Amino acid sequence: MILPYALRLVCLCFASFFVLNAAAGLLVRIASASAIRFAESKTPNAAARFLLAAHLFPVALATLFVLALCVPSYLWLEPTAGAERVGGICALLGLLGVATCLHSMARTAISLFASLRHYRLCRLGGQEMRLPGAPSPTVVLEGEAPLLAMFGLLRSRLLISRGVLRTLSAEELDATLSHEHAHRTSRDNFKRLLLLLAPDIFPFVRAFRTLEHSWAKFTEWAADDQATAGDSSRAIFLAAALVQVARMGSGPRLPFLSTSLLARDRDLAVRVNRLLRAAPVTPALPSKTRPLLLAASFLFAGCLVALLIAPPTLSLVHELLELLLH
Amino acid sequence: MIRFLKNRIAGGADPSQSLALGSLEFELMEILWSCEESNVRDLVPKLSRPLAYTTVMTTLDRLFKKGLLGRHKSDRAFVYSPLFSRQEWERKRAGNLVADFLAGPRPSRELLLSCLLDAVGEHDAALLDELEKKIRSRRKELSRQGQP
Repeated sequence: MILPYALRLVCLCFASFFVLNAAAGLLVRIASASAIRFAESKTPNAAARFLLAAHLFPVALATLFVLALCVPSYLWLEPTAGAERVGGICALLGLLGVATCLHSMARTAISLFASLRHYRLCRLGGQEMRLPGAPSPTVVLEGEAPLLAMFGLLRSRLLISRGVLRTLSAEELDATLSHEHAHRTSRDNFKRLLLLLAPDIFPFVRAFRTLEHSWAKFTEWAADDQATAGDSSRAIFLAAALVQVARMGSGPRLPFLSTSLLARDRDLAVRVNRLLRAAPVTPALPSKTRPLLLAASFLFAGCLVALLIAPPTLSLVHELLELLLH
Repeated sequence: MIRFLKNRIAGGADPSQSLALGSLEFELMEILWSCEESNVRDLVPKLSRPLAYTTVMTTLDRLFKKGLLGRHKSDRAFVYSPLFSRQEWERKRAGNLVADFLAGPRPSRELLLSCLLDAVGEHDAALLDELEKKIRSRRKELSRQGQP
């Protein structure tokens, strides 16, 4: 297949993106069980951050390679004159790269639309009000469904059913609202969007399901910890609220881009037992070494970028791209 | 022609009416969804009960006027084909149903929402009892230690 200069660049970008994303993704998939075990030894907040980073690592690496190395080396070293032949394998990899990216974009768009539609439908039938202690404007729905969920990416909205309001005591409600507030401050819905946007290893193959489930579990635990703030009685109220809401029966099926008190919770007993543990989990205070670590990371990243964009590195990358192209 | 236009306008004014099907209409649509296109003569023997040629013809004409079937002439007879797939028809029908409910009075909207918040799974009652017991005993323990 003979392609002009710009199309060759596009083909190379998608092909190298696909190869790197698939290779790194496979590594992450193989290491996911160990990663989850490692995360379990950390605090829920750190564990959730680690698993999210592991999930996003392949796409971040592939994007970085394409933008920082592939494009500059091509623009700098590839002669602009004339069309050139592109190998069948490169074209196929490029197409697979396009398919993987399009699939993740379509999935994200569908989820965004479903979440928006669900929220609008609930708002049409509900009543918007401000509950005392609620982190954001709340839509109260009539009915006995055990619904307590946070919708929205930037301006979050809380959905709660009249049944939940009636069932929970003031203290239990306060604890659950703090739990939802914790999801809001950690921007968990936005992180869900990132997970959806991250392309899979191959189109239509969800390889990171286990990582996603574990991440969701740790975000719930982290929100529990933030809501109870190391206070045993608050922890009991939150545990009681969880059991009360679970006792209300079936939970509504919610869109992926929302956080709910119970809907996706498969380990209710573990969560309640965790809350009832004798020593309450205190949220980690910001470490004094954090700014130092951050500065060191920036320095390291700067050195790495300088090394990467050095002419010999770009020439090497260009040679690799030529190999892939033909 | 005038009647056809009147029907089309009436159909446009109430889309839920045009998508609602009687039993014979539904049966004919199902046959047409499976065979894609057919004329009246071929459809009659495929029906579950014996019906007159003219009855089937009138029903197909009604479906055409409702905008569910398209038709073209072949050998002096009409060949009918569905304008929507079964999935599209079901989606449209569900959409109209939801729109009707939402346009209706408040109780209708609430009914719809309570249907949407449907059952997806229930927790084990014994497990919940056990968890509640643990919560009570932990509460007692804390109150003995002097916390509320």
